[in-house]
Amino acid sequence: MSRSFAQRLNGLPAPATIEMARRARALKAEGRPVISLALGEPDFATPPAVVEAAHQAALAGQTKYPPVDGTPALKVAIARKFTRENGLDYTAEQIMVSNGGKQVIFNAFMATLNAGDEVVVPTPYWVSYPLIARMFGATPVFAPCREEDGFRLRADVLAQALTPRTRWVVLNFPNNPTGAICPAEDLATIASVLRDYPDVWILSDEIYEHLVFGGARSASIAAVAPDLKDRTLTLNGVSKAYAMTGWRVGFAGGPADLIAAMRGVQGNATSGVCSIAQAAAAAALDGPPDLVQTMVATYSRRRTNVVQALRAVPGLTCAMPEGAFYAYPGVAACLGRTTAAGRLLETDHDFAAALLDEEFVATVPGSAFGQSPYLRLSCATSDEILAEACQRIARFAGGLV
Amino acid sequence: MTGEKSAQNKKDRADGISGSAPTGRGLLCAPEQRICRLCPGLCPFRCRVPKNIVSESKKTMSLVADRLNRISPSQTIVISTRARALKAEGRNVISLSAGEPDFNTPDHIAQAAVKAIAAGQTRYTDVAGTPELRKAVAERFRLDSGLDYTPEEVIVSTGGKQIIYNAMMATLNPGDEAIIPAPCWVSYPDIVTLAEGVPVVVPCKRENGFRLQADELEAAITPRTKWVFLNSPCNPTGVAYSAEDLRPLCDVLLRHPHVWIFTDDIYAKLVYDGFRPATFVEVEPRLRSRTVTMNGVSKAYAMTGWRIGFSGAPVELTKAMNKLQGQSTSNTCSIAQAAAVEALTGPQDFIQTMVDTYQGRRDMVVSMINQAKGMECDVPQGAFYVFPCIEKCLGKTSPVGKLLKTDEDFVTALLEEEGVAAVHGSAFMYPGYMRISYATDTQSLRDACTRIQNFCEGLL
Repeated sequence: MSRSFAQRLNGLPAPATIEMARRARALKAEGRPVISLALGEPDFATPPAVVEAAHQAALAGQTKYPPVDGTPALKVAIARKFTRENGLDYTAEQIMVSNGGKQVIFNAFMATLNAGDEVVVPTPYWVSYPLIARMFGATPVFAPCREEDGFRLRADVLAQALTPRTRWVVLNFPNNPTGAICPAEDLATIASVLRDYPDVWILSDEIYEHLVFGGARSASIAAVAPDLKDRTLTLNGVSKAYAMTGWRVGFAGGPADLIAAMRGVQGNATSGVCSIAQAAAAAALDGPPDLVQTMVATYSRRRTNVVQALRAVPGLTCAMPEGAFYAYPGVAACLGRTTAAGRLLETDHDFAAALLDEEFVATVPGSAFGQSPYLRLSCATSDEILAEACQRIARFAGGLV
Repeated sequence: MTGEKSAQNKKDRADGISGSAPTGRGLLCAPEQRICRLCPGLCPFRCRVPKNIVSESKKTMSLVADRLNRISPSQTIVISTRARALKAEGRNVISLSAGEPDFNTPDHIAQAAVKAIAAGQTRYTDVAGTPELRKAVAERFRLDSGLDYTPEEVIVSTGGKQIIYNAMMATLNPGDEAIIPAPCWVSYPDIVTLAEGVPVVVPCKRENGFRLQADELEAAITPRTKWVFLNSPCNPTGVAYSAEDLRPLCDVLLRHPHVWIFTDDIYAKLVYDGFRPATFVEVEPRLRSRTVTMNGVSKAYAMTGWRIGFSGAPVELTKAMNKLQGQSTSNTCSIAQAAAVEALTGPQDFIQTMVDTYQGRRDMVVSMINQAKGMECDVPQGAFYVFPCIEKCLGKTSPVGKLLKTDEDFVTALLEEEGVAAVHGSAFMYPGYMRISYATDTQSLRDACTRIQNFCEGLL
């Protein structure tokens, strides 16, 4: 049966986040007052200096093929960023630019994973890590981060997940969906576990690094444990810190041999990233930190308001996130109950679906992130809308019998 | 299928193809030799398995996955690196190796991008591209070729390359075969290999105008064939297929309903002397349900850096490609998508100006190359390349005394001795030839061709 699809596509569901957004759009089209807290995208505009840089690049004819691994100007700006903000020195051949952080992960996994390899993914996780690992025949092995630990990764939990087949360990802090961070002292303990596994690569996805609150500081494992730097891929990008999701510019620093292998994948998959977007990203990285500061103040305020409102709702628990722009309330006490419209809630997916259908609030169930029963709420929307959404959630939970 | 059987099939195929190689020197290795000039990496039969690229790594496990070990870095990189080094030394180097237009993106298109930025179109778009762009693509397919793709049958990717990559990754299982007419852009075999498929390279004879013939296609199809590639106008030959050229290939394909067709039409706007290029679905609508029609804005609108490619393809395949893209890159740059809408729907007169310029250069280059001793150059219908035969120059000695055994020796000596960078035919799986890009200004082209004439004149 030659005209079938490849086996690697089997088990690749449409991401649940996208499915929820689709259902929300459909209800909106019917005229329902839908509030969407489902998508992970800043509600700020790209900073003017960045826009101006793109404008100049487009008019100056920077419209030819860029190098596969990024323009020299952007790579220099990335090297400066890693030195300045992370205490990490990378040379040009240790840096690579991709079409979003997602392509960095895809390149790294495609370049290294063979069938039967294992990838340790702490839960809750961003859905793409296990999905991409599976696409290349690898098996995701989960290391749960518990609510009672503030969703932080414990070194002993990580140690239990490691085996001789482990190829990669994924660290994503500040975390999507919980907002948990991994402070330097935790990273030091994690590093000591990883030292016993010299063949294991470390993917440190730090895309939310600037969005941390209340004096919390996120750290890079390659800086905390320099002896692990030659097997760590440090991932970052401009999407979240500079409100540039649509531009699609992610990047990574890592050992030159791994970067070369990733370049081999990208050279065959897409080649270089849009030259105009690269010019914009260089301006963003070298520009003033004003927008980041404004965003952090805003997200911090919204986070506190949302968590307080949710904690006041009977049946919900909510840890205080230290970073990113999500809240991740637990709904365990609501399960087994019935909504005002008569729907029995057996899972967090039922909860999210009923909340959307009955109160028109779109969220993503924890099951989509590998840890139930929770909901992910994105705080990347206005205070008024968030307050209204929390009221509706309270009414929904209050109506359960 | 057992491993042994598959290996035997590959050997049979290698025999067949080396027998029909146009150069008579064996394009691909005979199985008993276990080595060929395309090894390692470029040879689709992997006669000599390339070493792990980090074999000296301290790590006890191999760095890279098996799938990556099967491809090797681009052959053109050696030449372009050397050309840059000579330039840096202050040598006057003329590069005829560019694969992109020397025009800038037209101003109205750049302005559309600026407007999109100002309007805040800086958020995630649909993975498959904005509705506006997909609609514009569908309309462009209709206007240019009478194809009736709906926006749901269109996907927008980071360059045409990602369309190929999506399609191969979404469909190839280990051992599936893809038929690739040579000379070819090496990304086709490399992507097929990366997706764990087997490239089946079919050399097209110069006496047939480098066009794939129906009997050659028929002979290459097996039960394992999943794809047939066609690139018209072609990189590196510039050869294009008319409706009459495609008809016999369509008839073969109609007899093999298990085969998908990938047609790369990225150069379709760049055709000369009034030539009318055709595409499979236009010639034979019954192939529509198993054809990917690929195009993009890179070549026609001088937008290579923006990275926008697209395809029309049946909805179930488009969905599968979308699924893959959703996990590999998501959408391509939102600003570039807005620029592409303007390119496809705005004024098109820029293209004719560009085509007229290219046609004048092509005529000059073909005429000058044919005056170079030992070189023979046909007149191609499209793209911005010519692909002269240099076989009569091989076996000779260059002015500074280098023996030119291969096409790679030839282009290396041409670069070192005359400061002209071109790409050898082996880099397109077709030894004995050379690709010249005329996407550079006329004066430089004239100088370069004069230098080539001098070089050939000095061969002993």
